[in-house]
Amino acid sequence: MLRFPIDAESFPLGKGPMVMLVLFLISTLFIFGRSEEAGEDLEFWIFANTHYEEYQARVPIFEAENPGVNVRLINFGGTMHDKLLAAMLSNFGAPDLVEVEITSIGRFLKGAIDEIGFVDLRPRLEREGWMDKLVVSRFTPWSYRGRIYGIPHDLHPVVLLYRDDLFKAAGVEMMAVETWDDFIAAGKKATRDLDGDGKIDQYAIVLDRRTESDYFSLLLQQGGGFFDEDGTVIIDSELAIETLEFFTALFNEHKIATPVYGTWHGDPSNFAAMQDGKILSILAPDWYVGILKSQVPQMSGKWKAIGMPAWQPEGRRTTTRGGTMIGITTQCQNRDRAWELLKFTYFDRPGLVNRYETTRIIPPLKAAWDAPIFKEPDVYLGGQPLGELFIELAPDLPARYQNPYWSEAADLLNDAIFAAVTEKQTPREALTELAEKVRTLIAKDMDRWGDL
Amino acid sequence: MEGGYTEKRVKTPTYQNEPQGKFKNWNQQQKLAPYLFIAPFYLLFVIFMGYPLISSLVMSLYEMRGFQSRIFVGLGNFTDLFRDPIFWKSLRNTAYFAIGTLTLQLPIALLLAILLNSKFVKGKNILRLAFFAPVLVAGVFVAIIFNLVYDQRAGLVNQEFVLFGKEIGWLNEEKYVMPAVILTGVWQWAGFNMIYFLAGLQGIRQELYEAAAVDGANWWQAFIHVTLPSLRPVIAFVVVVSMIGSLQLFDLPYILTNGGEPADAGSTIVMYLYKNGFQFMRLGYAATIGWVLFFIIAVVSIVQLKLLGIFRDE
Repeated sequence: MLRFPIDAESFPLGKGPMVMLVLFLISTLFIFGRSEEAGEDLEFWIFANTHYEEYQARVPIFEAENPGVNVRLINFGGTMHDKLLAAMLSNFGAPDLVEVEITSIGRFLKGAIDEIGFVDLRPRLEREGWMDKLVVSRFTPWSYRGRIYGIPHDLHPVVLLYRDDLFKAAGVEMMAVETWDDFIAAGKKATRDLDGDGKIDQYAIVLDRRTESDYFSLLLQQGGGFFDEDGTVIIDSELAIETLEFFTALFNEHKIATPVYGTWHGDPSNFAAMQDGKILSILAPDWYVGILKSQVPQMSGKWKAIGMPAWQPEGRRTTTRGGTMIGITTQCQNRDRAWELLKFTYFDRPGLVNRYETTRIIPPLKAAWDAPIFKEPDVYLGGQPLGELFIELAPDLPARYQNPYWSEAADLLNDAIFAAVTEKQTPREALTELAEKVRTLIAKDMDRWGDL
Repeated sequence: MEGGYTEKRVKTPTYQNEPQGKFKNWNQQQKLAPYLFIAPFYLLFVIFMGYPLISSLVMSLYEMRGFQSRIFVGLGNFTDLFRDPIFWKSLRNTAYFAIGTLTLQLPIALLLAILLNSKFVKGKNILRLAFFAPVLVAGVFVAIIFNLVYDQRAGLVNQEFVLFGKEIGWLNEEKYVMPAVILTGVWQWAGFNMIYFLAGLQGIRQELYEAAAVDGANWWQAFIHVTLPSLRPVIAFVVVVSMIGSLQLFDLPYILTNGGEPADAGSTIVMYLYKNGFQFMRLGYAATIGWVLFFIIAVVSIVQLKLLGIFRDE
């Protein structure tokens, strides 16, 4: 018979179940006890290790400046977006603040506008005058139907990173390259069979034909895109088709491009090919330079950078690739406090300078650009001040309009690019078919819902 | 008094110091106790299996619109799925892997088991551990390791082929992607299946081989007429379990091919389910893929068990 106070011997089935029951009760109290405090604390989810390291150092400063505020910084790595999706679907457990990657944000924008799980930040941005202080084109990936759901973490301007020594050895001065026509001419000289065995030993450029990354960068540079500002599919426009024709010609007609080694530009195989001198140039966003420095430090001093070749003289010399936003979720109980933390992590000049120092990421806050660090010579680029080049290009970044169908569209775009480069379809066929598929997908949903 | 017998009312025995009312309660508890003991399993089953299963079946008849709304589409998701070329491509890739498992992985596993069961092989324990060890490595790590093994320039596999002047893009060219995934699967799982076969081989009675030898059977005849028939239940188990695992393939090609690229050459059914559910936010469609996969697995398993004679009366 059970006696009170309970002892282990008289507990049904003995000590083990009693210990389990006690642990169960304690953990239940812990879990449900915590949720009552949620309004007081701020939970901040991230997925990138470099961001985690940066914020880990900065959060204690924010907490010291805001007594009583406790920030829980959680780095979920690559699984974060799925966890966020589950939290938004169940309408429970989402953080107050969250960083979202550019290729993942589309899925969070599906459905009725009032059901989107992020707070519209446009009123706060306009009220406090932040819009003019940031690069406006960088709001486009995080905006939809006139609302701004996130603040850009970065600009990610793209430059052409090239092996100065090897181009010079081929008799090419890359600083003189201004347009893509110039680049093709230079590339034909530099793409060479060095040992006379009939095989190309060095290619002028490495491009990714498996995914949309390089093609889409070129398309954005031209002012194109997959969707326009209103959400209309424009991937079968003449501009998009011409860009894909140009992209495929670099491989098949001019034969100056090699497909990326491995699965993406950051693959060890690709780095090995760079070290072997097989790859002479690459379209590189600011973050990629950071990766190169950490992964192949032995190539220090071998690279130089210029703005991307333009499509016509005096044309745009850059594009944008990748990106992260920070947003406040609609489940956040203390949005004013979350907004303060957001500003502290994204708009604080010393923090942004520190960010560039560790990751080479150029911040969207224009006021940070005059910091001396951006003008410092970069040893990795043989003393060239890379930050200065990025900042010179930053105001000219193209818009990249966001759409809820981006994930599906990008998946199909990958296939279309591969089909065109491997000559299974012409660029026109591939993009026309692709556009038709995405339009059908959207039309079906519109039929079901009446709108999007 | 007739017969000297006095009828006495026999009192129902009761436990000392136990009042009548409490006894009734105890009786009820005795009846209830078994149900209470098994209740946790059924409760957990209903919460974590029953509810999600029914919920996903219902979900396959709807399509989500964002996070909160959904619309009834009936069998619309199923008709869309059967017209979806990427689904068919993913199904083909999955079948390719499953056939690769059946024709390559399992014979290798059986061969390894036979070798390790032979009295001529030394260091069996070390070899057994060595062959079994890959299964202890998580699928994600296996994929990362093999990404380096298949590396186009510096990878272990190409190092040999480079001697012949060929630099194969194992993960870059459509035709090589699934063979690369199958070979990785062989490395990871052959040792695991070997253990089953080994256990089966050790269970075969020696007298059967001796009788076969007396009848003049050579090694091959003994293998065909003694070993294989005796291993039939083990083979059936391994084939069915491997096939189910193959049809559920996800993590290995997902990491190895960076989400199924190029041109969905590495896409599998579960990968396509994941993409629809989590990347495209089409939960109804993803649930439909899940149920179609369930039926495929059920049919394949029943056919295999039939072919392997498991339903036969012995």
